[in-house]
Amino acid sequence: MTIDWRRYRCEGLFDELVLPNGDARPGAGRLLAALARFTAEEIRERKTAAELAIRAMGITFTVYDDGANIDREWPFDIVPRLILNHEWDRIAWGLEQRVRALNAFIDDVYHHGRALRDGVVPKDYVLGSREYRPRCVGVDPPHGVWCHVCGSDLVRDADGKLYVLEDNLRVPSGVSYMLENRAVMKRVLPELFEDYRIRPVDDYPARLAACLRSLAPAGDGRPRIAVLTPGIYNSAYFEHAYLAREMAADLVEGSDLVVGDDDVVYLRTIGGPERVDVIYRRVDDLFLDPDAFRPDSVLGVPGLVRAWQAGKVALANAPGCGVADDKVIYTYVPDIIRYYLGEEPLLANVPSYRCAEKPQRDYVLDNLEALVVKPANESGGYGLVVGPHASRKEREEVARRIRAEPRNYMAQPMLTLSAAPTLVGNNAVEPRHLDLRPFVLSGEDVHVTTGGLTRVALRKGSTVVNSSQGGGSKDTWVVDPE
Amino acid sequence: MSTVLSRVAERAYWLGRYLERGDATARLVAVNGNLLMDLPGREALGWQPLIDITGATALFEALYGPDAEASERQVCRFMTTETRHPGSLVSSLTGVRENARNIRQAMPRVTFEYINELHLFARSALAAASSRLRRAEALEGISRRIQQLEGFLSQNMLHDAHWDLLRLGNYIERADMTTRIIDMRTADLFASHHDLAPFEDIQWRSILRASFAMQSYNAAVREPVVASRALDFLFKDRRLPRSYLRCLQGARRSLRTLPRHAEPLRLCDRAIRLIERTDVARLASGGMGGMVDDGARGGSGTSGALTAFVDRCQRQIAALHDAVAQTYFGYDDGR
Repeated sequence: MTIDWRRYRCEGLFDELVLPNGDARPGAGRLLAALARFTAEEIRERKTAAELAIRAMGITFTVYDDGANIDREWPFDIVPRLILNHEWDRIAWGLEQRVRALNAFIDDVYHHGRALRDGVVPKDYVLGSREYRPRCVGVDPPHGVWCHVCGSDLVRDADGKLYVLEDNLRVPSGVSYMLENRAVMKRVLPELFEDYRIRPVDDYPARLAACLRSLAPAGDGRPRIAVLTPGIYNSAYFEHAYLAREMAADLVEGSDLVVGDDDVVYLRTIGGPERVDVIYRRVDDLFLDPDAFRPDSVLGVPGLVRAWQAGKVALANAPGCGVADDKVIYTYVPDIIRYYLGEEPLLANVPSYRCAEKPQRDYVLDNLEALVVKPANESGGYGLVVGPHASRKEREEVARRIRAEPRNYMAQPMLTLSAAPTLVGNNAVEPRHLDLRPFVLSGEDVHVTTGGLTRVALRKGSTVVNSSQGGGSKDTWVVDPE
Repeated sequence: MSTVLSRVAERAYWLGRYLERGDATARLVAVNGNLLMDLPGREALGWQPLIDITGATALFEALYGPDAEASERQVCRFMTTETRHPGSLVSSLTGVRENARNIRQAMPRVTFEYINELHLFARSALAAASSRLRRAEALEGISRRIQQLEGFLSQNMLHDAHWDLLRLGNYIERADMTTRIIDMRTADLFASHHDLAPFEDIQWRSILRASFAMQSYNAAVREPVVASRALDFLFKDRRLPRSYLRCLQGARRSLRTLPRHAEPLRLCDRAIRLIERTDVARLASGGMGGMVDDGARGGSGTSGALTAFVDRCQRQIAALHDAVAQTYFGYDDGR
């Protein structure tokens, strides 16, 4: 049996490819028709081919399971997600605007604090954030940019409206899977590429390298770049190695680096110490430098922050940039955009309630069963309480925590994430919820990936897209309407 | 990437060592099984020498009890699947995998898949190796896969400093293993078992087999297998890829392309000079046969001289390893 789109049901949610009446959305017609032309046998074949390609290409992520680290193959769905050119351009402008404003905000926070004085963002919110780093006050990173790689998560609600769910400014991951997904699709379903002009994504490593080079201290014009990884047991190690290889950068761990008395950072190599100019660090702030932050960090490099402050090395992202990644600060981003750029935000925030403000807190406490409560400083879904799915006990517990530390919580209404057809079993397609993580590079210039990483919750009804919890991904195509 | 990080250098080097060690261990166990079938009084030789070869007698007793018998079953387990024995086959293969993970970006992408496949094969084949037939198949399969992997790397990996370090590890491990095999067979066995004298050639055949050199010996030497010839062949023959001299020459070639090589190269040259100057055949000329005739014990006479010589070679290899570690792995980095 082939795929029968008339039997595809997506009522009550926004489907990215199919209209509620079963017709294709603009731009998706050729894709749906092409998929319907495959026999069940062919679909099975392609699915198996994709799995083999993923294994052969060694696309894995690491999960910690039963006391052992296991490399899992990356779960991938062969039905791509489409975004139309003109919509994408608008999203890209919105992302660029957002990241420019966020960088202006971070730079301001660590210098004059104008926005805090002018009451745009309450001062104690900023200074009380767990991601605020007093060590960073007065530092001048190149181009005034602190967040060089940003991975904001975008979602669509049931009515199709797009929102920024959160900004990941610290060490966002996933871009290598965006690149690999495209490579797998080209290998497995080359026919589909004939029907479309799909904007390429594979310039990302070159763009990232250019962005990082633009941060280098003045030198011979051939700066040496290193990717700093926590090591092979980190869940994103595959990506660290991938990007280092694609950029021809050194893949280093903390123990590979040493800071000299001259504040210069050196690599320990078989030929002796060699200077490194730019470090794309995929290690959290607090573990970067035991002298500056956590003294017990074994991942870090003593003196690294000192070298950065002295301008002898560039760190991307800069330490301290997570202050704008705080979920409560997030609620001020539209105001931050207006304040620094004098523009209206092009992308909407999800409506949010700040628990530190009494009327909003009261509303949250009264409506816990309808809201998603988020702690201010966690990422990856940790500490999140989804009201409608939580037990009475869990709701009481979160209410208690909100009352004890209102500054550390915000809440949002439950969105019904949009979905797209996803292969279930061998030849059935059903809608599965998804999100989108585009990546924004900021150095001398700003660059936004075309599309991004589409993450999909493979379990029916689930909205959890994290790969460690049953999530997978899809290739993301930015295409012409017809 | 113009140069190699010290940490990565160490991984590449150990990848080379573990590949070689895994291959040698698989061959040793297989050859020993074969050898015992050819000898009378199997209990006299038995499986104990395999434990001695890795210097792990104390660990064997610690793991299986002080009275543990060095039975075929127990020793094979100790040498192949015992994860608590760092010299076991699975430990070597784990070493291969862990070190390879860390230098993944320096090898062709598909390499890691081959290594995974090797791992999966070894695990399932060894788990099913209850009979001698299955065990021989498993060991042969592992050995073959390791050699294919090395061949693949040799033909497809960029021959940069990563490669030189990997090869350096290969050669040093191989040189060390060759001396261990010779040492065990000469010092220990014939000295105390007079009745085995007629089987000496079988012994030497097994040593040649363990070094993958039996067929080469026949083709190159064209004489019956005797101790002096076999020793000379294994130590010094320039045509035999696994001869001790060739290993050192290989290590020397790898070192010469690496930076800051003065100290390790000096030690490597010293080891080469020693082997070139030594008349190995004469060390064994009284031979083990003679020794058995005399009723002499190990540690004296010509066999004692050979043992002392082998010890000296091993100390030189150890010193070379230390110099490599000091120079390249950043242990004495003053910073």
